[in-house]
Amino acid sequence: MCMVSKGETWKGESVLSPPVASDSRQDRFQAMYQACHAAVLGYVVRRTASPEDAADVIAETFLTCWRRLEEVPSSPEARLWLFGVARRTLANHHRGERRRLALADRLRDDLAITYRPPQHTAEESRIVAAFRRLPADQRELLALNAWEGLDYGQIAVVLGCSRNTVRVRMFRARKRMASELASVPAPALWGSLARTEMAHE
Amino acid sequence: MNEITRISPVTDDEATRMARPQTLADLANQITAMPVETPSGGYRLAGQRAGRSHKRRALLVVPLVAGLSAAAAFVAVAGNFTSAPHVTSNRASGQALPATQTAQALAFTTSPGGGLTVIVRDPLADPAVFRAEFARRHLDITLQMRPVSPSLVGSVFYMDEPGNGPHLVPITAKGACDTPGGGDVCPVGVQIPAGFRGPAEIDFGRAARPGEQYVSTGSAFAPGEAMYGMSIRGETVTEVVGQLRDRHVSVAYFNVQGSTGNGLVHSVPGGWYVYDADPWAPGQVMLFVGPTEQQPAPTPPPGNPVPTPTS
Repeated sequence: MCMVSKGETWKGESVLSPPVASDSRQDRFQAMYQACHAAVLGYVVRRTASPEDAADVIAETFLTCWRRLEEVPSSPEARLWLFGVARRTLANHHRGERRRLALADRLRDDLAITYRPPQHTAEESRIVAAFRRLPADQRELLALNAWEGLDYGQIAVVLGCSRNTVRVRMFRARKRMASELASVPAPALWGSLARTEMAHE
Repeated sequence: MNEITRISPVTDDEATRMARPQTLADLANQITAMPVETPSGGYRLAGQRAGRSHKRRALLVVPLVAGLSAAAAFVAVAGNFTSAPHVTSNRASGQALPATQTAQALAFTTSPGGGLTVIVRDPLADPAVFRAEFARRHLDITLQMRPVSPSLVGSVFYMDEPGNGPHLVPITAKGACDTPGGGDVCPVGVQIPAGFRGPAEIDFGRAARPGEQYVSTGSAFAPGEAMYGMSIRGETVTEVVGQLRDRHVSVAYFNVQGSTGNGLVHSVPGGWYVYDADPWAPGQVMLFVGPTEQQPAPTPPPGNPVPTPTS
């Protein structure tokens, strides 16, 4: 789970100019990149605690997209395809198969400057603690719904399963989350515990 | 679910603003400058649309810039590239393979526990040959040996396993690869666990031949790379290009930073400054340059206190 707060941002207007209507591979990629880069950045940054990993995963996701451009569905489904690639790339990183791409160097430098751990209220810390107790696949299900705003059909595309499977698993994940939330101490007791737990991340 | 939404670490917009717009544009430009090959080893010029193929991806080669000698050399080398002949199997289906089976390009050995260890024996073989040798064992594995900058030779630089069975374990060979000149040794490979279902794709780095562009690069300043031991801090384009010439290294492109533009150009004023470099191809680098000595720094939005980092 990502620990990032709204920290520094970069001023400046976008230099991603709209592509000339054209058939070429580069134009198709640039159009897709312009439409989807914010969603991919958000997805990855919300799920990594390290700016280095985030940069490599983002770069690798788009590199995969370039190499397999014919497989990428047209918008709005392109975003879901990219989430699937980012998810698998993140899983590789967590398994220790990390590849540092020179491609990602500048992005890594930028994110290293702007990355900040989040500051949570006591109540939010309680929710975070409960969320962390869930198994990873349940967290991902809830996150795709709450953070990326995907419905069950879209989640099914990202995870490569049926919509009905998503519905059943979501029910279980929510039930589990509710029970974890109920078992976490109330905010009044939680203050110093929360700070201790955050410090260990 | 409201609770989960509350603990969302950042929005998409906030995440995007954590990177400079120039950085994001550069990333797209550098990605689209990467060459792509067709699986059969054939090549197509930029601008021609790739046909759709059913099983395999249809990919096309994009020469970097028309007239760039390195790209022309790359195409020429590719045109002369002779692929290894396809191995035909005389083995009747159903016969068990012996413990070690040396094929033309790959060597398969059964491991205790029911898995397979596969080592590349011919790193310069056509990727279609690797694919066919895996396919003969009903393995949906795409293995490629791609030219990379020296510090990455013998390592994995790309891997994708979209399935949800047990995963491949790469076998790397850093420091033990020698493909361009005297030899064709690069004993990388994979361990395939029992129960592996695929599909999987894995790309290893091999040494580049003259004229081949690197498809993945380490730092230009790492040991073995073109600018190892050089310091570029505060130096101008003229100074750096002069030092590179002493090392018989040329500049393939200048990557212009800052508000004056983006993209790759062939010439910039000699008084401009060099910020960074990437390996490009054997004997070639790409320099990141701009008109000012300092690169632009991030500007915190007004009114936002910068939180002190914890732990």
